[in-house]
Amino acid sequence: MAVATESQEPVFRLDDLTVNFRGQSGPVPSPLQGLNLDIRANEITTILGASGCGKSTLLRTLGGFVIPEDTGGVLYKKQFLTGPTTDIVMIFQENNLYPWLTVKGNVRFGLRFRKNAPEDLDKAVADMLSNVGLSDAARAYPHQLSGGMRQRTAIARALITRPRVLLLDEPFSALDISLKRRMHSMIHTLQEETDISMVMVTHDVEEAITVGDRVLVLGGNPANVLVDADARGPEMRDRYSKEYLNLQKKIEEVIF
Amino acid sequence: MSTPAWDKAAPWVVGGISVACVIAAWEIAGVAELPVTTVLPPPSQFMAMVIESDFRIGLGSQSATLLESLSSTFGRVFAGMLLAFVAAIITGAAISLSRFTTWCVSPFLYLLAPIAPIAWIPTAIVVFGINNATAIFIVFMGVYFILTIGTLAEIRRVPAEYGIVAGNLGASRWQQWLFVVMPAILPGVFTLLRTNFIAAWMAVLVAEMVGLRDGLGAIIMMGRNLFNNELIMFGMLVIGVSGFVVDRSLALIGNRILWWRV
Repeated sequence: MAVATESQEPVFRLDDLTVNFRGQSGPVPSPLQGLNLDIRANEITTILGASGCGKSTLLRTLGGFVIPEDTGGVLYKKQFLTGPTTDIVMIFQENNLYPWLTVKGNVRFGLRFRKNAPEDLDKAVADMLSNVGLSDAARAYPHQLSGGMRQRTAIARALITRPRVLLLDEPFSALDISLKRRMHSMIHTLQEETDISMVMVTHDVEEAITVGDRVLVLGGNPANVLVDADARGPEMRDRYSKEYLNLQKKIEEVIF
Repeated sequence: MSTPAWDKAAPWVVGGISVACVIAAWEIAGVAELPVTTVLPPPSQFMAMVIESDFRIGLGSQSATLLESLSSTFGRVFAGMLLAFVAAIITGAAISLSRFTTWCVSPFLYLLAPIAPIAWIPTAIVVFGINNATAIFIVFMGVYFILTIGTLAEIRRVPAEYGIVAGNLGASRWQQWLFVVMPAILPGVFTLLRTNFIAAWMAVLVAEMVGLRDGLGAIIMMGRNLFNNELIMFGMLVIGVSGFVVDRSLALIGNRILWWRV
């Protein structure tokens, strides 16, 4: 995990970001109206907020799936994002996997359209499955997997493409608590190994603190950053530490 | 008695017993010489007639074996269905990929879909003559429009995330269609094809009855022209059994090969 510094170039710079949706009788404004924010590179940023605060819209905008108004936008590599790019891969809460492909087939699918795919595809897929602990399930189909295994497959498929940014939209919200915690530590390990930037949206305060290196709380209309907290360090992974509990209290006071 | 083996076999056993009971009652009615058996001769009578003629049906040069009749009808049905299946997928792709195509094609789709395939028979005979092309065309018209409308509904059911994920991994719009939308819709479209098989089957039989001189539908017409109720009953039996076997085979293919659901 690289430690961010003030001088480090952000992976995303939100410059006066305004998103409006297309409605039947004209544009419908989203909570994102003139938002300015830097998302730092090589760390995990978690975004929290009440329902409807614009956090999922923000994530989709970072992925290039939502095109902002002309007045501002998302700067990525010093240019405004105008659509999805293979550098930035998104993982959803569900419907990530293709049911007609095995685990191996789904992970391999990640490289199908890449010009710079590794020569030995089978080895690359096997290595990635081993990284996420799914070697034994390579021949299984998605409906034969648990929720955690399905999300691990989706993460493996995303990571095998070596993206610069991984966007996660409430990826573990359907999992039980023990599985969720295992997935959190796996995300940390993978981030440390690959050093890619991750942005995760969640509505779970515990998840946001234990997973994130930086926790952002969005709120208000128009949305602004209510909390911007550093959540690095082992004390933030300990749910009973003073630092963890203080941050949790601070966030909950803002959200609830 | 509820074991997994019994649960699996029960529909077949109970169904088989049910059919056997009806045939037994039918045969008893035949032995008792009830008047109704003049119009509905029991299986022992019409099967004896067909076995006696060595499964050759018809008179003189126009006669054909049962196998020839079956292959004629099946050939027409499957050719028409295959063409309709391919055309429906292509139309679905064209409509889903281009709004202009949607505007051009949709009116024809929804105007022509309600027309019963039988209504096309006179036109088809004039255009193609009395031959296989007429029957294949009738089957095609009976299946294509419904299948295309169903294909569009299946395309709309594909989760948006599937396309986003593929696009995100570098797939072009065409590749997304080929590698994501196509496999996602195939099981649903195949199920529609199977449910439309009955419509196609009836359409080809009507075509064979009114125009073509061979096939299973022609057996019924031959029976009518010869006042031969045994032949009519035999034709009906073969049509029923063939339709049942094909329907079950299509269901098996659907469950074994195209098993996934999105």
